[in-house]
Amino acid sequence: MNIYGWIFIVASWSVIIGLTAFCFYKVFTEKDEEI
Amino acid sequence: MSAQKKESWGSKIGIILAVAGSAVGLGNFLRFPVQAASNGGGAFMIPYFISLFLVGIPLMWIEWSIGRYGGIFGHTTAPGMFQKLWKTRLSKYFGVIGIFGPLVIFIYYVYVESWLLGYSFYSLTGVLSSIHDTGSMSKFLSGYQGLEINQFFSGLGSAYAFFVVTFALNVWIIYKGVEGGIEKLCKIALPTLLIFAVIIMVRVFTLGAPNPAYPDWNIANGFGFLWNPDFSALLSARTWLAAAGQIFFTLSVGIGVILTYASYLNKGDDIALSGLSAASTNELAEVVLGGSIVIPLAFAFFGPVGIKAIAGSGAFDLGLVTMPLIFSQISLGALFSFLWFFLLFLAGITSSVSLIEPAVAFVKDDFKMGRKKSVTLVSIFTFVLCQPAIFFLGHGVVNELDFWGGTFCLVLFGTIEAVLFTWAFGIDKAWEEMHRGAQLTIPSFYKWIIKYITPTFLIIILISWFFQEGIPTVLMEGVAPANIPYILLTRAGLVMLFVALALLVRHALKKKIPEAQQ
Repeated sequence: MNIYGWIFIVASWSVIIGLTAFCFYKVFTEKDEEI
Repeated sequence: MSAQKKESWGSKIGIILAVAGSAVGLGNFLRFPVQAASNGGGAFMIPYFISLFLVGIPLMWIEWSIGRYGGIFGHTTAPGMFQKLWKTRLSKYFGVIGIFGPLVIFIYYVYVESWLLGYSFYSLTGVLSSIHDTGSMSKFLSGYQGLEINQFFSGLGSAYAFFVVTFALNVWIIYKGVEGGIEKLCKIALPTLLIFAVIIMVRVFTLGAPNPAYPDWNIANGFGFLWNPDFSALLSARTWLAAAGQIFFTLSVGIGVILTYASYLNKGDDIALSGLSAASTNELAEVVLGGSIVIPLAFAFFGPVGIKAIAGSGAFDLGLVTMPLIFSQISLGALFSFLWFFLLFLAGITSSVSLIEPAVAFVKDDFKMGRKKSVTLVSIFTFVLCQPAIFFLGHGVVNELDFWGGTFCLVLFGTIEAVLFTWAFGIDKAWEEMHRGAQLTIPSFYKWIIKYITPTFLIIILISWFFQEGIPTVLMEGVAPANIPYILLTRAGLVMLFVALALLVRHALKKKIPEAQQ
Protein backbone atom coordinates (compact mmCIF):
# COMPACT_ATOMS: atom_id res chain seq x y z
CA MET A 1 0.00 0.00 0.00
CA ASN A 2 1.40 3.39 -0.91
CA ILE A 3 1.41 6.54 1.22
CA TYR A 4 -1.81 7.87 -0.34
CA GLY A 5 -3.56 4.58 0.43
CA TRP A 6 -2.49 4.93 4.07
CA ILE A 7 -3.72 8.52 4.16
CA PHE A 8 -7.13 7.53 2.78
CA ILE A 9 -7.61 4.53 5.07
CA VAL A 10 -6.54 6.44 8.19
CA ALA A 11 -8.71 9.45 7.30
CA SER A 12 -11.77 7.34 6.43
CA TRP A 13 -11.53 5.15 9.51
CA SER A 14 -10.97 8.21 11.71
CA VAL A 15 -14.09 9.95 10.42
CA ILE A 16 -16.27 6.88 10.88
CA ILE A 17 -14.91 5.65 14.19
CA GLY A 18 -14.96 9.21 15.52
CA LEU A 19 -18.54 9.80 14.42
CA THR A 20 -19.72 6.47 15.85
CA ALA A 21 -17.94 7.07 19.15
CA PHE A 22 -19.40 10.58 19.40
CA CYS A 23 -22.95 9.33 18.69
CA PHE A 24 -22.87 6.44 21.14
CA TYR A 25 -21.21 8.57 23.82
CA LYS A 26 -24.16 10.96 23.54
CA VAL A 27 -26.70 8.11 23.39
CA PHE A 28 -25.39 6.46 26.55
CA THR A 29 -24.84 9.65 28.51
CA GLU A 30 -28.32 11.09 27.88
CA LYS A 31 -30.49 10.80 30.98
CA ASP A 32 -33.82 9.81 29.40
CA GLU A 33 -32.57 6.70 27.64
CA GLU A 34 -35.78 4.76 28.18
CA ILE A 35 -38.40 5.70 25.64
CA MET B 1 -55.85 7.38 15.88
CA SER B 2 -55.92 3.61 16.11
CA ALA B 3 -58.05 2.15 18.85
CA GLN B 4 -55.43 -0.54 19.44
CA LYS B 5 -52.63 0.12 21.90
CA LYS B 6 -49.71 1.57 19.95
CA GLU B 7 -46.63 -0.65 19.92
CA SER B 8 -43.36 1.01 20.89
CA TRP B 9 -39.64 0.42 21.35
CA GLY B 10 -38.32 -0.49 24.79
CA SER B 11 -35.25 1.77 24.63
CA LYS B 12 -33.44 4.30 22.49
CA ILE B 13 -30.56 1.88 21.84
CA GLY B 14 -33.17 -0.69 20.76
CA ILE B 15 -34.43 1.34 17.81
CA ILE B 16 -30.91 2.50 16.87
CA LEU B 17 -29.75 -1.12 16.66
CA ALA B 18 -32.96 -2.13 14.84
CA VAL B 19 -32.46 0.52 12.14
CA ALA B 20 -28.72 -0.21 11.97
CA GLY B 21 -29.55 -3.94 11.78
CA SER B 22 -31.89 -3.23 8.90
CA ALA B 23 -29.13 -1.32 7.12
CA VAL B 24 -26.23 -3.71 7.80
CA GLY B 25 -26.54 -6.52 5.29
CA LEU B 26 -24.65 -8.49 2.70
CA GLY B 27 -23.87 -5.29 0.79
CA ASN B 28 -21.68 -3.98 3.62
CA PHE B 29 -19.33 -6.96 3.41
CA LEU B 30 -19.56 -7.84 -0.29
CA ARG B 31 -20.84 -4.93 -2.40
CA PHE B 32 -18.90 -2.04 -0.82
CA PRO B 33 -15.35 -3.43 -1.17
CA VAL B 34 -15.98 -4.45 -4.78
CA GLN B 35 -17.46 -1.04 -5.63
CA ALA B 36 -14.55 0.79 -3.97
CA ALA B 37 -11.86 -1.36 -5.57
CA SER B 38 -13.47 -0.99 -9.03
CA ASN B 39 -14.00 2.77 -8.82
CA GLY B 40 -10.77 4.44 -7.89
CA GLY B 41 -9.86 2.69 -4.59
CA GLY B 42 -9.20 5.29 -1.88
CA ALA B 43 -10.34 8.08 -4.22
CA PHE B 44 -13.80 6.43 -4.19
CA MET B 45 -14.11 7.56 -0.57
CA ILE B 46 -14.25 11.25 -1.63
CA PRO B 47 -17.59 10.96 -3.52
CA TYR B 48 -18.65 8.29 -0.99
CA PHE B 49 -18.37 10.67 1.98
CA ILE B 50 -19.84 13.59 0.02
CA SER B 51 -22.85 11.38 -0.82
CA LEU B 52 -23.10 10.20 2.79
CA PHE B 53 -23.35 13.75 4.13
CA LEU B 54 -25.47 15.20 1.29
CA VAL B 55 -27.86 12.32 0.61
CA GLY B 56 -27.51 9.42 3.05
CA ILE B 57 -27.72 11.15 6.41
CA PRO B 58 -30.33 13.77 5.30
CA LEU B 59 -32.54 11.02 3.87
CA MET B 60 -32.12 9.08 7.10
CA TRP B 61 -33.37 12.11 9.08
CA ILE B 62 -36.20 12.64 6.59
CA GLU B 63 -37.42 9.04 6.96
CA TRP B 64 -37.18 9.08 10.74
CA SER B 65 -39.12 12.37 10.81
CA ILE B 66 -41.86 11.20 8.44
CA GLY B 67 -42.20 7.93 10.37
CA ARG B 68 -42.49 9.55 13.79
CA TYR B 69 -44.86 12.21 12.44
CA GLY B 70 -47.11 9.57 10.85
CA GLY B 71 -47.05 7.47 14.00
CA ILE B 72 -48.53 10.36 15.99
CA PHE B 73 -51.65 10.04 13.81
CA GLY B 74 -51.76 6.24 14.02
CA HIS B 75 -50.14 5.62 10.64
CA THR B 76 -47.41 2.97 10.59
CA THR B 77 -46.87 2.70 6.84
CA ALA B 78 -46.15 5.13 4.00
CA PRO B 79 -49.64 5.56 2.43
CA GLY B 80 -51.21 7.15 5.50
CA MET B 81 -48.05 9.12 6.27
CA PHE B 82 -47.82 10.56 2.77
CA GLN B 83 -51.47 11.58 2.95
CA LYS B 84 -50.67 13.57 6.10
CA LEU B 85 -47.71 15.26 4.35
CA TRP B 86 -49.52 16.09 1.13
CA LYS B 87 -53.29 16.25 1.42
CA THR B 88 -54.38 14.89 -1.95
CA ARG B 89 -56.02 11.62 -2.95
CA LEU B 90 -52.96 10.76 -5.05
CA SER B 91 -50.35 10.84 -2.28
CA LYS B 92 -51.42 7.56 -0.69
CA TYR B 93 -50.74 5.70 -3.95
CA PHE B 94 -47.12 6.91 -3.92
CA GLY B 95 -47.00 5.46 -0.43
CA VAL B 96 -47.99 2.01 -1.71
CA ILE B 97 -44.36 1.69 -2.91
CA GLY B 98 -43.35 1.75 0.78
CA ILE B 99 -45.22 -1.53 1.38
CA PHE B 100 -44.76 -3.09 -2.04
CA GLY B 101 -40.96 -2.53 -2.25
CA PRO B 102 -39.96 -4.20 1.02
CA LEU B 103 -42.42 -7.05 0.42
CA VAL B 104 -40.86 -7.77 -3.00
CA ILE B 105 -37.34 -7.63 -1.55
CA PHE B 106 -38.37 -9.96 1.30
CA ILE B 107 -39.64 -12.57 -1.19
CA TYR B 108 -36.13 -13.29 -2.51
CA TYR B 109 -34.00 -11.92 0.33
CA VAL B 110 -35.23 -14.51 2.82
CA TYR B 111 -34.23 -17.28 0.39
CA VAL B 112 -30.71 -15.83 -0.07
CA GLU B 113 -30.51 -15.45 3.71
CA SER B 114 -31.32 -19.17 4.08
CA TRP B 115 -28.28 -20.04 1.91
CA LEU B 116 -26.12 -18.37 4.57
CA LEU B 117 -27.68 -20.49 7.30
CA GLY B 118 -27.09 -23.55 5.12
CA TYR B 119 -23.47 -22.58 4.49
CA SER B 120 -22.98 -21.96 8.23
CA PHE B 121 -24.12 -25.55 8.80
CA TYR B 122 -21.85 -26.94 6.06
CA SER B 123 -18.95 -24.94 7.53
CA LEU B 124 -19.41 -26.47 10.97
CA THR B 125 -19.73 -30.00 9.59
CA GLY B 126 -16.47 -29.55 7.64
CA VAL B 127 -18.07 -30.09 4.22
CA LEU B 128 -16.97 -26.70 2.86
CA SER B 129 -13.41 -26.96 4.18
CA SER B 130 -13.01 -30.28 2.32
CA ILE B 131 -13.44 -28.49 -1.06
CA HIS B 132 -10.19 -27.02 -2.37
CA ASP B 133 -10.76 -25.79 -5.92
CA THR B 134 -12.90 -23.07 -7.49
CA GLY B 135 -14.66 -25.42 -9.92
CA SER B 136 -15.85 -27.75 -7.15
CA MET B 137 -16.89 -24.83 -4.91
CA SER B 138 -18.94 -23.36 -7.78
CA LYS B 139 -20.53 -26.78 -8.35
CA PHE B 140 -21.37 -26.99 -4.64
CA LEU B 141 -23.20 -23.65 -4.90
CA SER B 142 -25.02 -24.60 -8.12
CA GLY B 143 -26.03 -27.95 -6.65
CA TYR B 144 -27.23 -26.33 -3.42
CA GLN B 145 -29.32 -23.84 -5.40
CA GLY B 146 -30.85 -26.68 -7.42
CA LEU B 147 -29.38 -25.39 -10.68
CA GLU B 148 -27.74 -28.75 -11.38
CA ILE B 149 -27.57 -32.26 -9.98
CA ASN B 150 -24.00 -33.15 -9.06
CA GLN B 151 -21.83 -35.06 -6.58
CA PHE B 152 -22.83 -32.66 -3.80
CA PHE B 153 -26.62 -32.38 -4.14
CA SER B 154 -29.30 -34.38 -5.90
CA GLY B 155 -31.98 -31.68 -5.69
CA LEU B 156 -33.32 -28.66 -3.84
CA GLY B 157 -34.15 -30.60 -0.63
CA SER B 158 -31.39 -29.15 1.58
CA ALA B 159 -31.84 -25.59 0.36
CA TYR B 160 -35.60 -25.84 0.87
CA ALA B 161 -35.19 -27.20 4.40
CA PHE B 162 -32.92 -24.27 5.34
CA PHE B 163 -35.38 -21.89 3.69
CA VAL B 164 -38.25 -23.22 5.81
CA VAL B 165 -36.18 -22.86 8.99
CA THR B 166 -35.14 -19.30 8.04
CA PHE B 167 -38.68 -18.31 7.11
CA ALA B 168 -40.05 -19.75 10.36
CA LEU B 169 -37.41 -17.83 12.38
CA ASN B 170 -38.45 -14.58 10.69
CA VAL B 171 -42.12 -15.26 11.37
CA TRP B 172 -41.44 -16.12 14.99
CA ILE B 173 -39.48 -12.89 15.58
CA ILE B 174 -42.16 -10.73 13.95
CA TYR B 175 -44.84 -12.63 15.83
CA LYS B 176 -43.17 -11.63 19.14
CA GLY B 177 -43.66 -7.95 18.29
CA VAL B 178 -41.60 -4.79 18.12
CA GLU B 179 -40.03 -4.82 21.58
CA GLY B 180 -40.14 -8.55 22.30
CA GLY B 181 -39.11 -9.69 18.83
CA ILE B 182 -37.34 -7.19 16.57
CA GLU B 183 -35.65 -5.17 19.31
CA LYS B 184 -34.52 -8.23 21.24
CA LEU B 185 -33.13 -9.83 18.06
CA CYS B 186 -31.18 -6.72 17.04
CA LYS B 187 -29.77 -6.18 20.53
CA ILE B 188 -28.23 -9.67 20.32
CA ALA B 189 -27.56 -10.13 16.60
CA LEU B 190 -25.92 -6.81 15.72
CA PRO B 191 -23.22 -6.85 18.45
CA THR B 192 -22.63 -10.56 17.75
CA LEU B 193 -22.08 -10.04 14.04
CA LEU B 194 -19.77 -7.09 14.73
CA ILE B 195 -17.72 -9.24 17.13
CA PHE B 196 -17.54 -12.05 14.54
CA ALA B 197 -16.39 -9.53 11.92
CA VAL B 198 -13.69 -8.17 14.27
CA ILE B 199 -12.43 -11.73 14.94
CA ILE B 200 -12.16 -12.41 11.20
CA MET B 201 -10.53 -9.00 10.65
CA VAL B 202 -7.87 -9.76 13.28
CA ARG B 203 -7.19 -13.09 11.52
CA VAL B 204 -6.86 -11.22 8.21
CA PHE B 205 -4.37 -8.75 9.73
CA THR B 206 -2.18 -11.61 10.99
CA LEU B 207 -2.12 -13.60 7.75
CA GLY B 208 0.84 -11.81 6.14
CA ALA B 209 1.73 -13.54 2.86
CA PRO B 210 0.01 -16.96 2.94
CA ASN B 211 1.81 -18.26 -0.15
CA PRO B 212 5.63 -18.16 0.39
CA ALA B 213 6.16 -18.48 -3.37
CA TYR B 214 4.50 -15.05 -3.85
CA PRO B 215 5.65 -12.73 -1.04
CA ASP B 216 3.98 -9.75 -2.76
CA TRP B 217 0.61 -11.44 -2.42
CA ASN B 218 0.17 -10.18 1.11
CA ILE B 219 -2.49 -8.47 3.22
CA ALA B 220 -0.79 -5.04 3.12
CA ASN B 221 -0.86 -5.08 -0.68
CA GLY B 222 -4.45 -6.37 -0.48
CA PHE B 223 -5.36 -3.24 1.46
CA GLY B 224 -3.41 -1.28 -1.14
CA PHE B 225 -5.55 -2.80 -3.91
CA LEU B 226 -8.62 -1.42 -2.14
CA TRP B 227 -7.25 1.86 -0.78
CA ASN B 228 -4.49 3.16 -3.12
CA PRO B 229 -6.28 6.09 -4.79
CA ASP B 230 -6.67 6.47 -8.53
CA PHE B 231 -7.47 10.18 -8.75
CA SER B 232 -8.36 9.97 -12.44
CA ALA B 233 -11.51 8.04 -11.40
CA LEU B 234 -12.83 11.26 -9.84
CA LEU B 235 -13.21 12.69 -13.34
CA SER B 236 -15.61 9.88 -14.26
CA ALA B 237 -19.36 10.35 -13.66
CA ARG B 238 -19.55 6.57 -13.20
CA THR B 239 -17.47 6.80 -9.99
CA TRP B 240 -19.72 9.48 -8.51
CA LEU B 241 -22.86 7.55 -9.37
CA ALA B 242 -21.41 4.34 -7.98
CA ALA B 243 -20.57 6.11 -4.70
CA ALA B 244 -23.98 7.76 -4.42
CA GLY B 245 -25.69 4.46 -5.25
CA GLN B 246 -23.65 2.59 -2.64
CA ILE B 247 -24.58 5.13 0.06
CA PHE B 248 -28.22 4.93 -0.95
CA PHE B 249 -28.39 1.13 -0.88
CA THR B 250 -26.28 0.60 2.23
CA LEU B 251 -28.34 2.81 4.55
CA SER B 252 -31.66 1.03 3.82
CA VAL B 253 -33.18 4.39 2.91
CA GLY B 254 -35.86 4.55 0.23
CA ILE B 255 -37.37 1.20 1.21
CA GLY B 256 -40.04 2.21 3.71
CA VAL B 257 -38.84 0.18 6.68
CA ILE B 258 -37.43 3.16 8.60
CA LEU B 259 -40.83 4.87 8.28
CA THR B 260 -42.50 1.93 10.01
CA TYR B 261 -39.79 1.56 12.65
CA ALA B 262 -39.89 5.31 13.45
CA SER B 263 -43.70 5.27 13.67
CA TYR B 264 -43.31 3.26 16.89
CA LEU B 265 -41.59 6.27 18.52
CA ASN B 266 -43.42 8.81 20.64
CA LYS B 267 -43.94 12.45 19.68
CA GLY B 268 -41.07 13.86 21.77
CA ASP B 269 -38.50 11.13 21.15
CA ASP B 270 -35.18 12.11 19.62
CA ILE B 271 -34.58 11.30 15.98
CA ALA B 272 -31.60 13.51 15.08
CA LEU B 273 -29.05 11.66 17.24
CA SER B 274 -30.71 8.26 16.77
CA GLY B 275 -30.71 8.54 12.98
CA LEU B 276 -27.07 9.63 12.90
CA SER B 277 -26.10 6.82 15.30
CA ALA B 278 -27.78 4.17 13.13
CA ALA B 279 -26.08 5.56 10.00
CA SER B 280 -22.65 5.68 11.63
CA THR B 281 -23.01 2.10 12.93
CA ASN B 282 -23.75 0.97 9.40
CA GLU B 283 -20.71 2.87 8.10
CA LEU B 284 -18.50 1.26 10.75
CA ALA B 285 -19.66 -2.18 9.61
CA GLU B 286 -19.17 -1.26 5.95
CA VAL B 287 -15.96 0.77 5.67
CA VAL B 288 -13.94 -0.48 8.65
CA LEU B 289 -15.05 -4.12 8.84
CA GLY B 290 -16.41 -4.82 5.35
CA GLY B 291 -13.38 -3.20 3.73
CA SER B 292 -10.93 -5.26 5.80
CA ILE B 293 -12.04 -8.79 4.99
CA VAL B 294 -12.96 -9.84 1.47
CA ILE B 295 -10.62 -7.85 -0.81
CA PRO B 296 -7.41 -8.11 1.27
CA LEU B 297 -8.01 -11.85 1.76
CA ALA B 298 -8.78 -12.52 -1.90
CA PHE B 299 -5.69 -10.53 -2.96
CA ALA B 300 -3.43 -12.45 -0.60
CA PHE B 301 -4.65 -15.81 -1.95
CA PHE B 302 -5.26 -15.07 -5.64
CA GLY B 303 -2.83 -12.23 -6.39
CA PRO B 304 -3.25 -9.01 -8.39
CA VAL B 305 -4.53 -10.77 -11.55
CA GLY B 306 -6.89 -13.19 -9.79
CA ILE B 307 -8.44 -10.47 -7.63
CA LYS B 308 -9.56 -8.51 -10.71
CA ALA B 309 -11.45 -11.54 -12.06
CA ILE B 310 -12.91 -12.23 -8.60
CA ALA B 311 -14.00 -8.60 -8.11
CA GLY B 312 -15.83 -8.80 -11.44
CA SER B 313 -17.55 -12.10 -10.66
CA GLY B 314 -20.31 -10.60 -8.51
CA ALA B 315 -21.10 -10.50 -4.82
CA PHE B 316 -22.56 -14.01 -4.54
CA ASP B 317 -19.54 -15.69 -6.12
CA LEU B 318 -17.25 -13.62 -3.94
CA GLY B 319 -19.09 -14.53 -0.75
CA LEU B 320 -20.17 -18.09 -1.47
CA VAL B 321 -17.34 -19.42 -3.66
CA THR B 322 -14.16 -17.39 -3.10
CA MET B 323 -14.48 -16.92 0.67
CA PRO B 324 -15.12 -20.59 1.64
CA LEU B 325 -12.27 -21.57 -0.71
CA ILE B 326 -9.92 -19.22 1.15
CA PHE B 327 -11.09 -20.46 4.54
CA SER B 328 -10.46 -24.05 3.42
CA GLN B 329 -6.77 -23.10 3.05
CA ILE B 330 -6.14 -21.58 6.50
CA SER B 331 -5.85 -23.20 9.91
CA LEU B 332 -9.15 -23.34 11.84
CA GLY B 333 -10.74 -22.64 8.46
CA ALA B 334 -14.02 -24.39 9.36
CA LEU B 335 -14.44 -22.11 12.37
CA PHE B 336 -13.68 -18.92 10.41
CA SER B 337 -15.94 -20.09 7.61
CA PHE B 338 -18.75 -20.55 10.15
CA LEU B 339 -18.11 -17.10 11.66
CA TRP B 340 -18.22 -15.57 8.16
CA PHE B 341 -21.46 -17.20 7.04
CA PHE B 342 -23.20 -16.84 10.38
CA LEU B 343 -22.34 -13.14 10.58
CA LEU B 344 -23.82 -12.72 7.08
CA PHE B 345 -26.89 -14.70 8.20
CA LEU B 346 -27.31 -12.41 11.23
CA ALA B 347 -26.88 -9.37 8.98
CA GLY B 348 -29.55 -10.90 6.75
CA ILE B 349 -32.13 -11.71 9.40
CA THR B 350 -31.97 -8.26 11.02
CA SER B 351 -32.73 -6.87 7.56
CA SER B 352 -35.42 -9.39 6.56
CA VAL B 353 -37.55 -8.85 9.68
CA SER B 354 -37.52 -5.14 8.88
CA LEU B 355 -38.63 -5.87 5.30
CA ILE B 356 -41.74 -7.80 6.31
CA GLU B 357 -42.73 -5.45 9.15
CA PRO B 358 -44.36 -2.74 6.93
CA ALA B 359 -46.77 -5.32 5.43
CA VAL B 360 -47.59 -6.66 8.90
CA ALA B 361 -48.04 -3.14 10.25
CA PHE B 362 -50.35 -2.28 7.33
CA VAL B 363 -52.65 -5.25 7.99
CA LYS B 364 -52.46 -4.80 11.77
CA ASP B 365 -53.07 -1.06 12.00
CA ASP B 366 -55.09 -0.23 8.89
CA PHE B 367 -57.39 -3.26 9.10
CA LYS B 368 -57.49 -3.30 12.91
CA MET B 369 -56.30 -6.87 13.29
CA GLY B 370 -54.09 -8.09 16.11
CA ARG B 371 -50.37 -8.66 15.49
CA LYS B 372 -50.66 -12.45 15.64
CA LYS B 373 -53.47 -12.59 13.11
CA SER B 374 -51.69 -10.10 10.85
CA VAL B 375 -48.41 -12.03 11.02
CA THR B 376 -50.22 -15.28 10.19
CA LEU B 377 -51.93 -13.75 7.15
CA VAL B 378 -48.83 -12.00 5.81
CA SER B 379 -46.66 -15.09 6.42
CA ILE B 380 -48.95 -17.42 4.46
CA PHE B 381 -49.13 -14.88 1.63
CA THR B 382 -45.37 -14.28 1.45
CA PHE B 383 -44.54 -17.98 1.80
CA VAL B 384 -46.51 -18.62 -1.40
CA LEU B 385 -44.84 -15.64 -3.12
CA CYS B 386 -41.36 -16.95 -2.21
CA GLN B 387 -41.85 -20.15 -4.23
CA PRO B 388 -41.10 -18.76 -7.74
CA ALA B 389 -37.87 -17.23 -6.42
CA ILE B 390 -36.82 -20.67 -5.14
CA PHE B 391 -37.89 -22.88 -8.02
CA PHE B 392 -37.16 -20.51 -10.93
CA LEU B 393 -33.89 -19.03 -9.65
CA GLY B 394 -32.06 -20.21 -12.77
CA HIS B 395 -34.54 -18.37 -14.99
CA GLY B 396 -33.69 -14.93 -13.67
CA VAL B 397 -36.69 -14.46 -11.36
CA VAL B 398 -34.57 -13.30 -8.40
CA ASN B 399 -32.67 -10.80 -10.56
CA GLU B 400 -35.97 -9.44 -11.83
CA LEU B 401 -37.41 -9.09 -8.31
CA ASP B 402 -34.17 -7.43 -7.18
CA PHE B 403 -34.36 -4.94 -10.05
CA TRP B 404 -37.93 -3.81 -9.30
CA GLY B 405 -38.05 -4.19 -5.51
CA GLY B 406 -34.41 -3.68 -4.58
CA THR B 407 -33.38 -0.97 -7.03
CA PHE B 408 -36.20 0.75 -8.94
CA CYS B 409 -38.55 1.17 -5.97
CA LEU B 410 -35.72 2.33 -3.69
CA VAL B 411 -34.54 5.15 -5.89
CA LEU B 412 -38.06 6.22 -6.83
CA PHE B 413 -39.44 6.07 -3.29
CA GLY B 414 -36.43 7.91 -1.83
CA THR B 415 -36.88 10.73 -4.33
CA ILE B 416 -40.64 10.95 -3.72
CA GLU B 417 -40.36 11.11 0.06
CA ALA B 418 -37.58 13.72 -0.05
CA VAL B 419 -39.65 15.95 -2.36
CA LEU B 420 -42.88 15.43 -0.39
CA PHE B 421 -41.28 16.16 2.97
CA THR B 422 -39.30 19.23 1.99
CA TRP B 423 -41.59 20.77 -0.65
CA ALA B 424 -45.17 19.50 -0.13
CA PHE B 425 -44.99 19.41 3.69
CA GLY B 426 -42.71 22.45 3.70
CA ILE B 427 -39.11 22.83 4.82
CA ASP B 428 -39.98 24.99 7.86
CA LYS B 429 -42.40 22.41 9.26
CA ALA B 430 -39.99 19.64 8.26
CA TRP B 431 -37.09 21.34 10.10
CA GLU B 432 -39.25 21.84 13.18
CA GLU B 433 -40.33 18.19 13.04
CA MET B 434 -36.72 16.99 12.80
CA HIS B 435 -35.75 19.02 15.87
CA ARG B 436 -38.60 18.07 18.19
CA GLY B 437 -37.00 16.23 21.12
CA ALA B 438 -33.62 16.33 19.37
CA GLN B 439 -30.58 15.48 21.48
CA LEU B 440 -28.33 16.80 18.72
CA THR B 441 -28.52 20.16 17.01
CA ILE B 442 -28.44 19.64 13.28
CA PRO B 443 -26.22 22.37 11.71
CA SER B 444 -28.42 25.05 10.12
CA PHE B 445 -26.81 24.67 6.67
CA TYR B 446 -28.50 21.26 6.52
CA LYS B 447 -31.84 23.05 6.11
CA TRP B 448 -30.57 24.30 2.76
CA ILE B 449 -29.01 20.94 1.88
CA ILE B 450 -32.21 19.04 2.70
CA LYS B 451 -34.38 21.45 0.72
CA TYR B 452 -32.26 21.78 -2.43
CA ILE B 453 -29.27 19.47 -2.59
CA THR B 454 -30.73 16.16 -1.39
CA PRO B 455 -33.78 16.12 -3.73
CA THR B 456 -31.63 17.35 -6.68
CA PHE B 457 -28.98 14.72 -5.98
CA LEU B 458 -31.70 12.03 -5.80
CA ILE B 459 -33.34 13.14 -9.04
CA ILE B 460 -29.94 13.01 -10.79
CA ILE B 461 -29.34 9.50 -9.43
CA LEU B 462 -32.84 8.44 -10.54
CA ILE B 463 -32.43 9.77 -14.09
CA SER B 464 -28.85 8.48 -14.52
CA TRP B 465 -29.75 5.09 -13.12
CA PHE B 466 -32.78 4.88 -15.41
CA PHE B 467 -30.67 5.41 -18.53
CA GLN B 468 -27.69 3.31 -17.39
CA GLU B 469 -29.46 0.30 -15.92
CA GLY B 470 -33.21 0.84 -16.12
CA ILE B 471 -33.75 0.86 -19.88
CA PRO B 472 -31.52 -2.18 -20.65
CA THR B 473 -33.25 -4.19 -17.92
CA VAL B 474 -36.76 -3.16 -18.92
CA LEU B 475 -35.95 -4.13 -22.53
CA MET B 476 -34.56 -7.47 -21.26
CA GLU B 477 -31.19 -6.95 -22.96
CA GLY B 478 -28.99 -10.00 -22.49
CA VAL B 479 -31.84 -12.20 -21.24
CA ALA B 480 -31.80 -15.71 -22.71
CA PRO B 481 -34.90 -16.28 -24.94
CA ALA B 482 -35.90 -19.30 -22.80
CA ASN B 483 -36.08 -17.05 -19.72
CA ILE B 484 -38.25 -14.33 -21.25
CA PRO B 485 -41.60 -16.01 -20.33
CA TYR B 486 -40.44 -16.26 -16.68
CA ILE B 487 -39.44 -12.58 -16.65
CA LEU B 488 -42.75 -11.51 -18.18
CA LEU B 489 -44.74 -13.65 -15.74
CA THR B 490 -42.77 -12.16 -12.84
CA ARG B 491 -43.56 -8.65 -14.08
CA ALA B 492 -47.25 -9.53 -14.46
CA GLY B 493 -47.27 -10.88 -10.90
CA LEU B 494 -45.62 -7.71 -9.59
CA VAL B 495 -48.16 -5.50 -11.36
CA MET B 496 -51.02 -7.54 -9.85
CA LEU B 497 -49.44 -7.31 -6.40
CA PHE B 498 -49.06 -3.53 -6.69
CA VAL B 499 -52.64 -3.06 -7.89
CA ALA B 500 -53.98 -5.31 -5.12
CA LEU B 501 -52.02 -3.34 -2.50
CA ALA B 502 -53.23 -0.04 -3.96
CA LEU B 503 -56.86 -1.23 -3.71
CA LEU B 504 -56.32 -2.39 -0.14
CA VAL B 505 -54.73 0.96 0.75
CA ARG B 506 -57.68 2.82 -0.82
CA HIS B 507 -60.16 0.70 1.12
CA ALA B 508 -58.27 0.92 4.42
CA LEU B 509 -57.66 4.67 4.36
CA LYS B 510 -61.22 5.40 3.29
CA LYS B 511 -62.36 3.84 6.53
CA LYS B 512 -59.52 5.24 8.63
CA ILE B 513 -59.46 8.86 7.42
CA PRO B 514 -62.76 10.73 7.02
CA GLU B 515 -63.51 11.78 3.42
CA ALA B 516 -63.06 15.48 4.19
CA GLN B 517 -59.49 14.91 5.33
CA GLN B 518 -58.44 12.88 2.28
